[in-house]
Amino acid sequence: MSLRVRLLVTIIGAVVLSFLVSVVAARFVLQHDLLDLGNTEVTNGAGAFGGYWDSRKNQIKLLVSQDAVSDALRKDLQTHNTAALQDFLSNIERTSGLSFLTVVDVNGNVVARANGPQQGSLSSNSLIQRALTGETVSTAALLDPTFLAGEGLAPQAQATIKNAGGKTVAQVAKGLALVSAAPISDQNERTIGAIYGGVLMNHYYDLVDQTTRALGGSTAILQGDAIVASTITQPDGTRAVDLRIGPAVGVVKNGTPYTGTDTVGGTKYLVRIQPLENDQNAIVGALWYGTPFSQISSIIDHITITLLIWGIIAMLVALALAIPVATRLSNTLAARSKQVRTAAKELGVVMVGSEVSGDHVAATKAAVERSAALVKAIAAGDSSKIGELQAVNDELQGDVTVIDTLSQEMASRMKQAADRVADLNDVAGGLNQLVTGEKNA
Amino acid sequence: MADVILFFGSNADTMIATKALKDAGVTAKMIPKPASVTASANLCLSIDAGVESQAKSALTTAGVALGGVVK
Repeated sequence: MSLRVRLLVTIIGAVVLSFLVSVVAARFVLQHDLLDLGNTEVTNGAGAFGGYWDSRKNQIKLLVSQDAVSDALRKDLQTHNTAALQDFLSNIERTSGLSFLTVVDVNGNVVARANGPQQGSLSSNSLIQRALTGETVSTAALLDPTFLAGEGLAPQAQATIKNAGGKTVAQVAKGLALVSAAPISDQNERTIGAIYGGVLMNHYYDLVDQTTRALGGSTAILQGDAIVASTITQPDGTRAVDLRIGPAVGVVKNGTPYTGTDTVGGTKYLVRIQPLENDQNAIVGALWYGTPFSQISSIIDHITITLLIWGIIAMLVALALAIPVATRLSNTLAARSKQVRTAAKELGVVMVGSEVSGDHVAATKAAVERSAALVKAIAAGDSSKIGELQAVNDELQGDVTVIDTLSQEMASRMKQAADRVADLNDVAGGLNQLVTGEKNA
Repeated sequence: MADVILFFGSNADTMIATKALKDAGVTAKMIPKPASVTASANLCLSIDAGVESQAKSALTTAGVALGGVVK
């Protein structure tokens, strides 16, 4: 792998790694922070939903209290004018949106109901008992099937509760209601009876619709751990009701609010579930407020994709800048490397030339010595050596020519070698500057 | 046995060839280029004809380009 490729791979690797770490870190932080924000939002939403719930409870209390001090009501009760009472109650129930409105005498026996002529006794009802002692009470309450039947409200409350898998888990006959009871007094302030009214929340959508319109998100009223009214839309477009809510089981059991995720009707929500208590602080249900989790996940996905796109653009820009730099660096190094190779080759030739020259000079020296010996022998009178001396002399002539050529060649090479040493010094300085950034003196 | 003359592209190559043959154990004598030989180098090598193939092999191994052979 060439230096250029290694440099580019290193740059790309560093950029990609830092980019990926940034994206993962951003996604993690976003997830954490947006979840916190979502939790705060649903907690605030649930608080506002509780405000709407309390407001409706106070409204019912005010209606019942006002009716309790009506002169017409008092007179009709004192005279046991049942027909007039029933008309009176029916008109009020119809105009105020109550589900039931009933008057009892001082013994708790039903005198008249807005919903019909059914008689009976409510003396065992704790709220009636408290009203007959002169107290005005208002609370969430579970209404028993007998009372609901007496008011003709049993069909509205009855339901088959299913779990998320569509399996029937319970049958409901009781009803969750916001109720209020107030004493009816004569002109001497003696209690002569009580008025008891309320709104049955089962399959009653006015409150959840109003809350959702005001707050957004989705709302639900739970009786126990089952939804009895909601604005949660199912895939088929219908409201999600008569469904058991898993996280609500713990809320109803422990009385501790739940904040987290919940899947209803195939949609995942970030929810806050707050317990509902009656006048005796017993938990009778819960208020569910949620926003689709996709709101959070879509923001996270959007930001992640945006980061990815801009990161890729930044990476491409970085590469566009890095490639010429890496190319220039590697080209510089390649040129320096070529200089070194050339210098090394030249110096190698000089070294070889020196060795060869030395050998040749030694061989020439031997020939000279041989020639001297032959001259000495001839001088002593051995004329047979003349031919041999001639041959040695010829050889010496060639050797001298070779030595001359070699000496010229070596002189030229030595000059070139000296130039190459200067080149090498230049290369060393260039490499040093490349690596350390320092210029050689 | 008659001598064989090896010649090369330059005097430097001739020197390198001399060293390569020496290292390979082939005796070679550097001589001036004969007038009958046409080559750019002024020097050439004279070897014994019996070691010609050994010399060529040594030069190939050493990466020295042989310019020509005169027998």
